[in-house]
Amino acid sequence: MTDGHATDIHHDSHAPHHVWYFGVFGALCVLTALSVMFDVLDIRGKHTIGGINLLLAVLVLSVATAKALFVMTYFMHLKFEGRWKFLLLSPTVILALGLPLALLPDVGVHYYTTDVPQNSAHVTEHSHTPELETTSESPH
Amino acid sequence: MSHAHATTVHGAPPLKMGLPIPNSKLGMWLFLGTEIMFFTAFIGTYIVLRLGSPDWPHDPNVTHIRIWAGGLNTFVLLASSYLVVVAHESMVARNIPRAKLYLLGTFTLACLFLGIKSYEYYGKWDHDILPGHIAEDDNQAMTKTLGDFEKTLNRQYARYVPDSEAARLADKRAAIDAKMKDASPEVQKQVEALKALDKEYLALRTQHQELKLQLVPLSEKLEELKTNPEFAGLLGGLEAHHPIKYGNIFASTYFLMTGFHAIHVIVGMIMFAIPLWVISLDHRWTDYVENCGLYWHFVDLVWIFLFPLVYII
Repeated sequence: MTDGHATDIHHDSHAPHHVWYFGVFGALCVLTALSVMFDVLDIRGKHTIGGINLLLAVLVLSVATAKALFVMTYFMHLKFEGRWKFLLLSPTVILALGLPLALLPDVGVHYYTTDVPQNSAHVTEHSHTPELETTSESPH
Repeated sequence: MSHAHATTVHGAPPLKMGLPIPNSKLGMWLFLGTEIMFFTAFIGTYIVLRLGSPDWPHDPNVTHIRIWAGGLNTFVLLASSYLVVVAHESMVARNIPRAKLYLLGTFTLACLFLGIKSYEYYGKWDHDILPGHIAEDDNQAMTKTLGDFEKTLNRQYARYVPDSEAARLADKRAAIDAKMKDASPEVQKQVEALKALDKEYLALRTQHQELKLQLVPLSEKLEELKTNPEFAGLLGGLEAHHPIKYGNIFASTYFLMTGFHAIHVIVGMIMFAIPLWVISLDHRWTDYVENCGLYWHFVDLVWIFLFPLVYII
């Protein structure tokens, strides 16, 4: 790579973006305060999924997504990058979503009872009782 | 390639190969791609486990998760992200002293973040909210409470029979009478109180072994013993444990996500410390600062999602 080439790349990469970064920071702080407010005011709807209040989850995760978009767009300069960003990030995002989606049917929304294995009769019967075993008396 | 450049028509853009960004930046973005998958695995697993556990602990008095600490840490990370982006802007403008100042600010805020995180971890440690340590049903809660009772007694006996002479509680019990032969009446009185407390413990333990003990009576008995003036000071901060269903998987996922995030913060601090350490920092470090900034913004992004998921929902 020649010096001239390198200079061109650097010129593109370091071109000033004229973003009011402090304004972006202020917006992120306001959104954070909004999330805390949802919790403090205990904004909860009637519907739940797996014990999670749906309204609260949608509200705070929407705010989190908005914050993430602010950071990616302005702080990470993705707004000013070429289309390579889609090419580079799409496969990882698709693969990242694969694991939770694969686990969801069995672990997340299973039809069977939710009695955890630790609470099964077998473990309860054989659970450790102080001084039943000699090692239990060793000082810590 | 240099020939091609030399023969380029004046005014026309030079021929470029690959993406129009520095190789180091491309490398950082590829690394961040792997990091997205890394953290999404943890966060996605947490969400899925949470969905599958209707009684997941979320009461702050049980989990000892403090929203003010999470909110404050979010603000700290956002402020540090702002400082690193203006540090990069200063590098582009070749204002190196100002860039260094902003980088120092970022580094300081990262330290503050870890300080607040350490305070939170201390709370978990102090209340034994640790993976594998949490009782998930009444029987486990009673076993754990009696285990603490036993440790407390062992500690009290150690005042008269040192651990170096007898490590186990049973050995201390056997040795204590011989130790008391020449003791003052005041000490002998204290030991008698300790033995009486030990007798109470043995009675509770026997009931537990015979499956005749219940958690509520055990809690009440402990409170009664603590208010008994004879045992004043002997029981210290002994409290009955209460079951936390899914407590262990909660603690595992909490420490997994926040722990790996904290490791990333430490790595970021090392990355920022390097240009701060370099005396002859100049504009040639601009790419480095930009790449550090990209990494740091990603660390911020992860926390942006951890905050609502762990602290609010």
